[in-house]
Amino acid sequence: MKVSQGPLYLMVLPGVILVLIFSYGPMVGILMAFQQFIPAKGLFGDQTWVGLDNFRYVLELPNTMRVLWNTLYIATLKIIFGLIVPIIVAILINEVRHMTLKKSIQTTIYLPHFLSWVVLGGILIDILSPSQGIINMILGLVGIEPIFFLGSNTWFPVTLVGSEIWKEFGFGTIIYLAAITGINPELYEAAKMDGANRFKQTLHVTLPGLRMTIVLLGVLSLGNILNAGFDQVFNLYSTQVYESGDIIDTFVYRIGLLEAQYGVATAVGLFKSVVSCILVTVSYYLAYRFANYRIF
Amino acid sequence: MSKGLKVFFMILLAFSLIMTGCSDSSTSGDANEGSEDSGDVSIAENGDPLGKYDPVIEATFVRSVDETLKLLEGETVKDNVWLDYYRDELGINVKYEWIAPVGDQFDQKMNVTLASGDIPEFINVTPTQLKQLVDADMVMDLSKIYEGYAAPLTKEVLTADGTGPFDAATIDGKLFGLPNIDSSIDRAHFIWVRTDWLEKLGLPEPKTMDDVLKISEAFAKQDPDSNGKNDTTGLAVTKDLWDGYAGLTGFFNGYHAYPNIWIKDDGGKLVYGSIQPEMKKALKALQDMFKDGQIDKEFGVKPGGKVAEDPASGKNGLHFGQQWTSLWPLQSNRDQDSSAQWKAFPLVSVDNQPARPQITLGTTSWWAVKKGVKHPEAIVKMFNGFVEKNWGETAEFDKYYLPEGAEGTWKMSPPTPSPPMKNLEAFLSIREAVDNGTTDQLTGEAKVVYDRVKSHEDGDQTMWGWERIYGADGVFGIMKEYKDKDLFMRNEFNGAPTATMTQKQATLEQLQNEVFTKIILGSADISTFDKFVKDWKALGGEQITKEVNGWYKSIK
Repeated sequence: MKVSQGPLYLMVLPGVILVLIFSYGPMVGILMAFQQFIPAKGLFGDQTWVGLDNFRYVLELPNTMRVLWNTLYIATLKIIFGLIVPIIVAILINEVRHMTLKKSIQTTIYLPHFLSWVVLGGILIDILSPSQGIINMILGLVGIEPIFFLGSNTWFPVTLVGSEIWKEFGFGTIIYLAAITGINPELYEAAKMDGANRFKQTLHVTLPGLRMTIVLLGVLSLGNILNAGFDQVFNLYSTQVYESGDIIDTFVYRIGLLEAQYGVATAVGLFKSVVSCILVTVSYYLAYRFANYRIF
Repeated sequence: MSKGLKVFFMILLAFSLIMTGCSDSSTSGDANEGSEDSGDVSIAENGDPLGKYDPVIEATFVRSVDETLKLLEGETVKDNVWLDYYRDELGINVKYEWIAPVGDQFDQKMNVTLASGDIPEFINVTPTQLKQLVDADMVMDLSKIYEGYAAPLTKEVLTADGTGPFDAATIDGKLFGLPNIDSSIDRAHFIWVRTDWLEKLGLPEPKTMDDVLKISEAFAKQDPDSNGKNDTTGLAVTKDLWDGYAGLTGFFNGYHAYPNIWIKDDGGKLVYGSIQPEMKKALKALQDMFKDGQIDKEFGVKPGGKVAEDPASGKNGLHFGQQWTSLWPLQSNRDQDSSAQWKAFPLVSVDNQPARPQITLGTTSWWAVKKGVKHPEAIVKMFNGFVEKNWGETAEFDKYYLPEGAEGTWKMSPPTPSPPMKNLEAFLSIREAVDNGTTDQLTGEAKVVYDRVKSHEDGDQTMWGWERIYGADGVFGIMKEYKDKDLFMRNEFNGAPTATMTQKQATLEQLQNEVFTKIILGSADISTFDKFVKDWKALGGEQITKEVNGWYKSIK
């Protein structure tokens, strides 16, 4: 049964063209990272080549280390919790037998995904306020002193991670739920025959069944290790919490774009991409080695 | 698999080569054209400021449009009174190469246009963009054209704001941009106080900084809204510290401190206001006010829009701000509570020296002309036309500036240089007309504004904000006082950002705002200020100061 693959290639073509134009085409701009870039002269114009000066400049800025650390710290927490929370929630929802309830929970937790951070920024300032915010009122009922979530350097990263997970976990949950549906029911029946209760079934059937999905999403999310979320941080941070909340992207926005230092901004972008590329490669190898899983 | 990858990379390589090829040829082509043209253009050094071109010439522009625009029926951005005027009276046919909505979209298209090197003949740019164009040798020296073609009235308007607007566009002694002049003095700060609260608490109007501190304390602690709750704040402050509403600029000016601007020291050198010792005393005062609960505990995370909710809901009655804050956010306070009354007071000082409001250059864009254009003086003629038709002897203000039923018709002219004192002048002519009983003879802007003030006096509360600005004890009365006593403290540095500024300014600004915020919040001791001054100098401030003084010498 041999079918010509021509039509299949044809169907892939639009996607390939899109990637070429919008992902590979702009890569030419990487040149800017090595230039003292003056927009009016154009990318291929008579620019001054400065070698690694842009990189050196960024490394020598007094806040670079702090910013790098904040980014890693916030992004790592987001990756870890962004992976764990949806799995747990998906397994719990899967156990709900009442169909309407199940669907409505699913929809409700998915909704925040559609709100933009500009909107949420305003809302969060209100609900997290230490004096009038509803969260602190609830904490007050159980005798906890008001916490200045957006103004304290201890709590700001926690707030970032918490609100990001709250916004996005519904989306991850759907993927895991879909994966759970794909697990062969016979496995559960066999487990039952062997005397496994629901908890044991989860442990020995559901989780192993989800392994591939978890590894896949885990590997992909590692590429985001230097993306701590520009939209979110930009809308929530303030001078008061630069110390714990200023990340690479907001930093570059201020020194690179606001001051029109496009070369510097590109240099940092390139640095981020290289680190992400290395991490994805390493984690891909690890996934293959330890989970015997290959994406490609 | 590996074969597929190889093929894929080959395609990729081929693709990128094609791209490089295309771009290369197009840019080099442009460059050649430019250099050929620039040689053989001769410019008449004197000409009729409003003389008509015959035959009609074509001039290319790009422009932005904003959503508030409302034109008369039958008019469009490409066909309106201004473009008709330029074509029929001056013989200049305005062509737009592209039009984009104001904001990100316009900025992006502008960046692409600048990057491509294919700029329109006449282009409106920021100092940074202008410097880039000059570095790329794409725009021409306008000194002679300006001298030869600008009408007396145009010159009067363009020079009414000091030399700053020209200094900013002068590079190596040549004038590369004509200032699209706009008001600087309108950026001065005032003290806005809720006077019905002052009366209720039996407090005097602010005469000294001490009075201001007392008012702030009383507004925070003596329950001015009489609701029995401790829910009011003393002084409103935003997290950005320097906003036009609830910024701290005016507060610092009261201590003779001038943050964020370059001022002249006793030796005639330029120094940065933010690091002068006067700042320390003001910061200490703010720290004490915060500790005492007079400033919102959460101000550090609240942008202006959020802070504005306090006065609107009757929870705040004191801020430092520019002349427009009665329109926003105070008008919302009035809308909800007709007994609320606000008044602007001049800045007050800590000692017997008068407080001097600081101002920065109001002009934010300049008109540059592409090298090789046949009639570069056309832009000067359009400047002449715009000024003449709005404020000159043949002005038809309600046809060209603010026709009834339209909004922003004046913006349809590509250049929009406005007399820097025009708001103050409108105020003065309104007051004069009221005193002489000749309000029916008011024309132009003054008439439009007067009608609004009048309708408030006739009971329309939605026009209250206008009355607070242009009414008998309106804020422009104080502006006149500022001007008559020559109190303005101008930013002495108006050039394009210097090399070190481009590299270090953002870092230094962040350092400054971080330290100031911490000091006000009390999480850093006031002595941190001394360390900040040292850090500021070490992290590039010293070098910037040198460059700024170098620039200052170059324009003198």
